[in-house]
Amino acid sequence: MQLFMKNVLAASATLWLGLAAGGHADTPVTYTQAGQALFRFDVPDFWMLRTGGMRDIEDTQLGDTRAVARVMGLRPVTDDKVWMGFVSPTGVATIRDGVRYLQDIDKFLVNDPQVTSTSDMSIGGRPAKVIRGTGRRDGRGVSFTATVIDLPRDRVAVSVAVIRDGADPAYADELNAVYASFRPLQ
Amino acid sequence: MTRKLFKRFALVLGLGSAGFTLSGCEGVTYGVGVGIGYDPFYDSMLWNDYYRNVNVNVDVDRPPNKPPNKPPHGKPPVRPKPPVAKPPARPRPPVARPPAARPPIHRPAPRRR
Repeated sequence: MQLFMKNVLAASATLWLGLAAGGHADTPVTYTQAGQALFRFDVPDFWMLRTGGMRDIEDTQLGDTRAVARVMGLRPVTDDKVWMGFVSPTGVATIRDGVRYLQDIDKFLVNDPQVTSTSDMSIGGRPAKVIRGTGRRDGRGVSFTATVIDLPRDRVAVSVAVIRDGADPAYADELNAVYASFRPLQ
Repeated sequence: MTRKLFKRFALVLGLGSAGFTLSGCEGVTYGVGVGIGYDPFYDSMLWNDYYRNVNVNVDVDRPPNKPPNKPPHGKPPVRPKPPVAKPPARPRPPVARPPAARPPIHRPAPRRR
């Protein structure tokens, strides 16, 4: 009986402590370039973040090395049907430029894109252009949301969220929570 | 009595802190871990940035930021729509999953005396 009580006590204490630890908030992340903080957002719990960084890449056919800005990519740990990325491309200063920057999205992120809606909204207190659409990737249907967010000092943040067909619709809430946590930094 | 109480306290504290440590590890490791492996969307975004120079002409005539339009007095502000729209719910497959088969190996019954 005594041993049973001990076990019960220990199990309950572990459970409570585990629950308390499980109540962590999301993880704040800051996008920086050359030591300058541009914006921040929260990574949801149990999502992976790939931070990347400034680097030079080269198309072997062109033989032209070019500098590429930091790309931050995030996705749920246990599900690859959802992906979201952020980049603040160098030299893209306005939302209009950002939209032009995204015009070639069909060559890379999504095949046969069909834009279903375009809207202006505010994200993190800054004006933003949101382009929603559908397309295909690796033979599967996807829906995408491309966003250009105006930042201080002639910068923009470009973000793309992709949800593959068949993904849990609840992921849209988590993606929107990331946008809700988005804050530009001075 | 005191010794018994102390033992119980140590047990609770030890197991509890072990649970705390484990759950903490899970959050840190998975929450901000680095994705390794095939990540096609990530690479695509990199290449999008690589080729953008061909198509983007940087202009510097940035228009000044206008203050947001205020709603007319008395009207509650419209709740902004979130950027990402919910995809349609996953269709239910026509064929239902069969009930789980009973495991072939059963727990042995306690030995009869």
